[in-house]
Amino acid sequence: MSLLASIDWHFIREHLPDFWQGLKNTLKVAGIGIAGSLAIGILLGAARAHRIPVISQLAAAYVEVIRNTPILVQIFFIAYGLPELPWHPIHLTQFTQAWLSVMIWGGAFNTENFRAGFEAVPARFREAARALGFGQVATFVNVTLPIGGRIALPSSINTYISVLKNTSLLTAIGYVELTSTGYNLESETFKATEIFIVLGIAYLAVVWTLSALIRLVEARLALPERGR
Amino acid sequence: MRRLSIAIAALLVAVAALAAWGAAPSAGKVAGGATPAAKPKLPPKPKRSKLPAEVRQRGKWVVGVKCDFAPFGFIDAGGKNDGYDVEVARRFAQLAFGSKTKLELVCVTTPSRIPTLQSKRVDIIVSTLTWTKARTEVIAYSIPYYSATGRLLVPNNSSIRTVRNLGGKTIVTTRGALYAAWTRNCFKDSKLLEVDSPALAVSAVKNGTADTFMFDDAFLLGVATQDRTLKLTNDKFLAIPWGVGIRKGEGAMAAWVNGAIRYMRAHDEFAKILKGVGRRTGAPSSLINSFLGTVPRPNNRFTYPFGKDPVSDCTSR
Amino acid sequence: MIGVLPDWAGPVAHYMIHDGLKETLRIAAFAVVGSTAVGILLGTLMTIRFWPSRALIRLYVEVFRGLPIIVTLFLVYYALPGAPLIHHRFAAFTGAAIGLTLWGSAQVAEATRGAVQSIPREQHEAAAALGFGWIGRHRSVILPQALRRLLPPLVSLLANVIQNTTIASLIGVTELLATGQRSVERLQFTSPESHAFAIYGAIMAGFFLISFPLTRLAIFLERRMV
Repeated sequence: MSLLASIDWHFIREHLPDFWQGLKNTLKVAGIGIAGSLAIGILLGAARAHRIPVISQLAAAYVEVIRNTPILVQIFFIAYGLPELPWHPIHLTQFTQAWLSVMIWGGAFNTENFRAGFEAVPARFREAARALGFGQVATFVNVTLPIGGRIALPSSINTYISVLKNTSLLTAIGYVELTSTGYNLESETFKATEIFIVLGIAYLAVVWTLSALIRLVEARLALPERGR
Repeated sequence: MRRLSIAIAALLVAVAALAAWGAAPSAGKVAGGATPAAKPKLPPKPKRSKLPAEVRQRGKWVVGVKCDFAPFGFIDAGGKNDGYDVEVARRFAQLAFGSKTKLELVCVTTPSRIPTLQSKRVDIIVSTLTWTKARTEVIAYSIPYYSATGRLLVPNNSSIRTVRNLGGKTIVTTRGALYAAWTRNCFKDSKLLEVDSPALAVSAVKNGTADTFMFDDAFLLGVATQDRTLKLTNDKFLAIPWGVGIRKGEGAMAAWVNGAIRYMRAHDEFAKILKGVGRRTGAPSSLINSFLGTVPRPNNRFTYPFGKDPVSDCTSR
Repeated sequence: MIGVLPDWAGPVAHYMIHDGLKETLRIAAFAVVGSTAVGILLGTLMTIRFWPSRALIRLYVEVFRGLPIIVTLFLVYYALPGAPLIHHRFAAFTGAAIGLTLWGSAQVAEATRGAVQSIPREQHEAAAALGFGWIGRHRSVILPQALRRLLPPLVSLLANVIQNTTIASLIGVTELLATGQRSVERLQFTSPESHAFAIYGAIMAGFFLISFPLTRLAIFLERRMV
């Protein structure tokens, strides 16, 4: 195909180190974002599922705001709106702005995932634990969390993959993750076809591999009776 | 009766003189033979007939301009395009078709302007396009229509004094700007941050993400005038003219645009445009006047640094 | 209400609503209609037991769901015009509409496949017993039920597409977020205050007001199905 022939392979090879560096930054920010989303999801999901007063309502508001506003606007708000906050300007380093934005987004979606998971744990399991003398917290840690967590596994996996994909939007604040690296390169060299095909293949490789790996894990951890 | 005759005779003489004087210019430009001080020949007004066929048939120009870079291309309070570049494009429309409205403006950014030109989405780009050797390999330039100088914007309490003490600092500029290339070539011990618009770069300096914003003087001076917590260092660098971007091989387009620029320069129209934009953006008149040397004027023209590549020239730092 | 706003806010609000919001809704309309049409078609085709077409459509779905939307937009807007067949560049609006449709249609295709396959076998068997052929069965029995199950995800898609139009600002479309940015830029240059906090806050509020009712509607429809 003439398309293949017209691609400047030398250019791609020459810039692979730059793309690799960008990918590393993507994974760095995504890693922190995913870990943070996991923690937020479990904590706030539990609060919501157990209807803990005040925290539950605040968490609900947090979830609704984040789910109903575009992530790009959230990123801009954190990076360029907070420093102009009228009474108490908040200045964050670029790296902090990066992982904080994706974590806040992922955390909101994960809160819903875990809330649904925890609420889906059949009541009889929790009652059995209480009957055996487990306290509230112990019941949660030993019964609700393991079972509810596995119920929530598929949806939370989707959230983590979305967190990874959302790091591409950090281009807007200039953080040099993979997409930004490619875009900066395109601005100088105008080799759009080569650059964005590399970007596309890189993201698909990462996303598909992660998806496959995690679905393997999910298959092993899945609860037998749910028959997914 | 005699007084009446004298009056009528005088009137007839006056009318005849008036007629002779009025007839002289329409007989064509007399090349200063009879008059003692020879006036230089003014460039001819660009003709519609010399426009490239596509533009002429369409009946309007399609021009790529910046929409996020005051005072050259931005959106005014009424949501309309305004700025030095935009006014130049409007004047082209007026010279070509007699009206400033025979113009379609397409917003471009630094990364998108050359691809947008190359794919024929626009006829020309008047979008803060500095001459660089790398760009001349993909597009052609008109003669200069503005000349900018690079400056550094820093917070008032910054330790940066000149472009020489940028080691270990973070420099922010817009994606694809010549300052990005220059930083990559000549400031290897500094970090480079590229953002999409000049405003985001200013925010980066204000909130500490970057130590300095390296950019064009007009924009930075405007910002520093409004924001008292920021200032410019004294040094100036990379003083290179801007040109209108034209696709390679389009001789007719280049000829018309160059003719228009020459005409506007001879009639000092660039200064007028600069003053108008300055007024509309609230710049103090002292600032506007200090910029009159950056626009082509009858006694002030610019040339590109042909044969040199200032962006890879690290001796100027 | 406009009279209560400070001086700077009036023109900004007018510009953002009149130019920005209008463009946001235009792109969203295109993308939703396109995604629904293409997605339902592809999703239905995916249920046909013919592995080449299934594999191809599966590839399409996995590619456009796997790519970040910004990368899809860059590919469509910057890379596609350079491709051998297409030599004419389109406007940023078109690029954004096509890119969002590619993503949206992948989502809808997957949801359609799920919806069609969730129709119990009995329906197929009953229709066949009544003398319906494959096409007739799908047209009169399967698809109408599947489409009803598709309604909640389609409403969610609408909300998501509207939010994702903001990504188009990164390829130069002057939608709501971009008009906010242009206003911040202008104010930063011509006045001491850029009002970034208020403007970005207003954009978030605007999207919330549009999206929240839609997501609530989707949840309501979902509950009604059960």
